[in-house]
Amino acid sequence: MAGSDEVNRNESKMVVPLNTWVLISNFKLAYNLLRRPDGTFNRELAEFLERKVPANTIPVNGVFSFDIIDKTTGLLNRIYMLAPEDEAQFGIVDLEKPLSTTDIVPVIIFFHGGSFTHSSANSAIYDTFCRRLAGTCRAVVVSVNYRRSPEHRYPCAYDDGWNALKWVSTRRWLQSGKDGKVYVYLSGDSSGGNIAHHVAVRASKSDTEVLGNILLHPMFGGQERTESERRLDGKYFVTIQDRDWYWRAFLPEGENRDHPACNPFGPRGESLEGIKFPRSLVIVAGLDLMQDWQLSYVEGLRNSGKQVKLLFLKQATIGFYFLPNSEHFYSLMEEIDEFVNSNC
Amino acid sequence: MGPFDGGSSSSSSGSCAGKSPEIDGLLAGAGYKVRSSELSQVAQRLERLENVMVNASNEISQVASDVVHYNPSDLANWVDSMLAELTHPQYPPSDLQNFPHHDSWTDQIGNQQNQNLNHNQQLTMVSTMMDEEDSGIRLVHMLMSCAELMQRGDFSLVASMIQEMQVLLIRVNTRCGIGKVAGYFIDALSRRLFSPSSAVCGSDSALENEILYHNFYEACPYLKFAHFTANQAILEAFNGYDFVHVIDFNLMHGLQWPALIQALALRPGGPPLLRLTGIGPPSPDGRDTLREIGLRLAELARSVNVRFVFRGVVASRLEDVKPWMLQVHSKEAVAINSIMQLHKLLYMDPGRASAMDTVLSWIRSLNPRIITVVEQEADHNQPEFLDRFTEALYYYSTMFDSLEACGLQPEKSLAEIYIQREICNVLCCEGSSRVERHEPLIKWRTRLSESGFKPVHLGSNAFKQASMLLTLFSAEGYCVEEKEGCLTLGWHSRPLIAASAWQAVPDEPTRKRDREGDLSI
Repeated sequence: MAGSDEVNRNESKMVVPLNTWVLISNFKLAYNLLRRPDGTFNRELAEFLERKVPANTIPVNGVFSFDIIDKTTGLLNRIYMLAPEDEAQFGIVDLEKPLSTTDIVPVIIFFHGGSFTHSSANSAIYDTFCRRLAGTCRAVVVSVNYRRSPEHRYPCAYDDGWNALKWVSTRRWLQSGKDGKVYVYLSGDSSGGNIAHHVAVRASKSDTEVLGNILLHPMFGGQERTESERRLDGKYFVTIQDRDWYWRAFLPEGENRDHPACNPFGPRGESLEGIKFPRSLVIVAGLDLMQDWQLSYVEGLRNSGKQVKLLFLKQATIGFYFLPNSEHFYSLMEEIDEFVNSNC
Repeated sequence: MGPFDGGSSSSSSGSCAGKSPEIDGLLAGAGYKVRSSELSQVAQRLERLENVMVNASNEISQVASDVVHYNPSDLANWVDSMLAELTHPQYPPSDLQNFPHHDSWTDQIGNQQNQNLNHNQQLTMVSTMMDEEDSGIRLVHMLMSCAELMQRGDFSLVASMIQEMQVLLIRVNTRCGIGKVAGYFIDALSRRLFSPSSAVCGSDSALENEILYHNFYEACPYLKFAHFTANQAILEAFNGYDFVHVIDFNLMHGLQWPALIQALALRPGGPPLLRLTGIGPPSPDGRDTLREIGLRLAELARSVNVRFVFRGVVASRLEDVKPWMLQVHSKEAVAINSIMQLHKLLYMDPGRASAMDTVLSWIRSLNPRIITVVEQEADHNQPEFLDRFTEALYYYSTMFDSLEACGLQPEKSLAEIYIQREICNVLCCEGSSRVERHEPLIKWRTRLSESGFKPVHLGSNAFKQASMLLTLFSAEGYCVEEKEGCLTLGWHSRPLIAASAWQAVPDEPTRKRDREGDLSI
């Protein structure tokens, strides 16, 4: 298969900028080293290789960050906020005052990607992304450090997400607007998008209000092999084989990919009809082999009568948003900005 | 640029003060330091790494656990180290610990504490580390990768890698340490690639070779150790004999012999009659160099009252020498002295009789009292190029490192040229022109034992005196070791030269054996 691998790599090199290609290829290869065939994961090496950054209360590009420990999991969640005008106020967060009493400031809970296994809230790539997100949308971003597989399988990540949502919803200092409530959005890329969906489902069954879901090439799947998986296998950084590994690592042992966590609108999925599910913005990368599942997800939402906007970026690969060096990146930012600030 | 300029190229969570302008700003924000100019090379190597990983898919997770991972932010270096590890796992990067100057490199690299540093500090530290030492390590990894490509016949890639290495060499101090060695190796690879058939390393001038040899003799203790140890063994073997005959396989300037002549002069009971037969290549300019050296040695012998006869035997190659040329008399005790000559006989020309067998057999026929053999302690005769290359890299790095201790000029520079020519021959030449076919002591032991020789222990006296010799050199780092009756001299626990002594095992049981076993006084 060596010949076709050559072709595969040349194709991916032609559609992404070189530094993006280097970045994502590096992840791909490093991750290959970490996944063991027996389903275990080399966590120590992963942590060593992971590029992490500390929070920084000195604003960069008008955004500063700080970490908070989630008492349930002991994990650090990172908050990104717009810096106050007054330099003397840098680094001071008043935990009694709301963000604003006049304007609405969206609070976007972000679940980082990594196929449930990799990355953290303080990974350099996600720190940078969240910072940009906060700056662009003039929002607060709460990046959640959920527990990862294979050490912590389903439903740990969803539980952590749900706890984060409850926590955010009940912070006075995240309230805004005349109503004095927290304007919460759930978002995530890859596995983070999957988590956002399931947390939203859980929220809809309780009183917690979620104003919108933003799913950036969310990670869904199923037993069936779809056309996009077969067509794009190995071509743009991702293989069916590695997807299978991650699902095996996340889902309960013995389960297959039609488990509702993986396939929410599949044969074992739960209907969303009649429940108050937030409106969604789903972004699909046209060169992502998972797109058929993502498009089915959008279908599924629509069929359940839920409001969903699809942003299909034909020539985008996974991870297109890590570096702001393409049209896709800017389209994405515009869409999200509009989504959280349109005050509908 | 889009409407989000404020959040683009220089975005990172720390201040950007520590970065140099050529670093890709976006990748820096993702925690990776890559020079923009090197992006495509890094991309190429990522592709190579992927190929290699596909082929090694069963072991990669194990290899990944075992290997030492250098600073992952230095992406180019990390990729290179993974490549080197996966393509040549017998020399895992952890063996780089044995590299000269390892203390300063490995202390700073791959330190988990990096993780806890503030991003600012991390970037700054990375940028100071992206200096000589990192470049040095990268050079080593690149050299190994390039050698592997050479072995595989991937010549266009070799050519482009050579260029890259030459660029990297600019960032490294080439006046000492890894930079100097790397420079020579890049040069050797280049020579091998571009002029394989005519790869002449150095010149045919005997005079030039002798000058370089003499400077190598002066600049570091290896040859002195060789001469000294051999002379000890010869002296002891000659005990009780009135007529002695030394056959030197490569006379050069006869540097070894004044000491023996003087020692014989001081022998209790008086000196024997010493015959010296010196073998050497023809002198091109009509001079009879051998005779000139012989005359000088005769002069010295006369001054200390040692009866001395010299004879020169001209031969371009050792296998051209016939025993009758040596005119050995039956009553004399014969010593055969081979300082770094035997390995030249190792080339096996398929159409002809083995040169080694021929020479070893006439050595036996002379029934010598002692045969002193000194050889480079290295495995430079392996069939696979990559194996030779890797071995040579370690061997000569160590040797160059030891040479740093020498302050004498021009001896040091000329000694380096001498060594460089050796490197060139090991790496660039093939077939009969590759004469530097060094093999380690363990292989010589086997070969000589199987050819009808038995080892003679060099004895504790020789060891003590060799160690004392070393104290004459200010450089700490040289060490003498004794291994099963043989002595080695090395630098920091890596033996570089090995001295041993032998006797012929008699064929018939009736033949009288004068002496056996330990030669200790």
